[in-house]
Amino acid sequence: MSKTALRPSPKKWHTDREQNIYSSKLIETLRRIRRSSPKAEDLRRSRVVREAADRILAVAGRGRTRWSRAILFSRNLKIKHSRPRKAVYFPAQPKKRRRSQVLKCKAGVLGRLVPGCRKLSFPTLLEEASDYIAALQMQVRAMASLTAILSASGGFSSPDPDRFAP
Amino acid sequence: MHSSSFSSAPPDHRRFTMSSRRSRSRHSASSRITDEQMNELISKLQTLLPEARLHTNDRPVTNANAAKVLQEICSYIRSLHREVDNLSERLSELLETTDNNSAQAAIIRSLLM
Repeated sequence: MSKTALRPSPKKWHTDREQNIYSSKLIETLRRIRRSSPKAEDLRRSRVVREAADRILAVAGRGRTRWSRAILFSRNLKIKHSRPRKAVYFPAQPKKRRRSQVLKCKAGVLGRLVPGCRKLSFPTLLEEASDYIAALQMQVRAMASLTAILSASGGFSSPDPDRFAP
Repeated sequence: MHSSSFSSAPPDHRRFTMSSRRSRSRHSASSRITDEQMNELISKLQTLLPEARLHTNDRPVTNANAAKVLQEICSYIRSLHREVDNLSERLSELLETTDNNSAQAAIIRSLLM
């Protein structure tokens, strides 16, 4: 059952190289977004940016993890399917629940937070979660750094004569 | 795709043998994992938590605090999602107002360093 060849490697998310590759791809996509929809509403454009950021992150996963594959495949479903949610049962005295039940409940929550990981065994879920967290951390670092650079340069935007050249 | 439900065990003929009755848990998937293994796995996840969240969890993961650590991890993922949302919003705003050429130059400089 173990796919050793396809085991995710969370360590790569910490490298500068991976972050730079991610940043470059994100910039490229952002420029395309800017060109294609200059007058888009703020809300919609922010969502487009978020989805692009997630998609590029998933691609960086090289298809080795469930969460990355889930993000890539979910883009084909344009409609967000909302399934009827089960009513969550909170017992009056939670401490009396068996420890195994509490852990399973928390694991279930974790499974819903990580894309495509709802019905996994505990070890696999934790493996996916650790790779996912490392990837998210890189995503935040890259986007924060991009934001800082853009806001710094945007603040000093001086009209570039070449922009108006025919 | 239905939500994860550990209480519905897969149909398994082994459950009806005498030996399986000895295992305390009715859920065949989880009974293969020992408590120790579970705590070890959760410890690994714990190492990913940032400093700020570690102060509640600097003790080794035991049966007693495993659930707490899991909860902390879930909360951390949610906060990461929120951060990405906020950054997406800011980036989309900056897209409108940024002077393209100077931004390009700044970005290229920083990536090359």
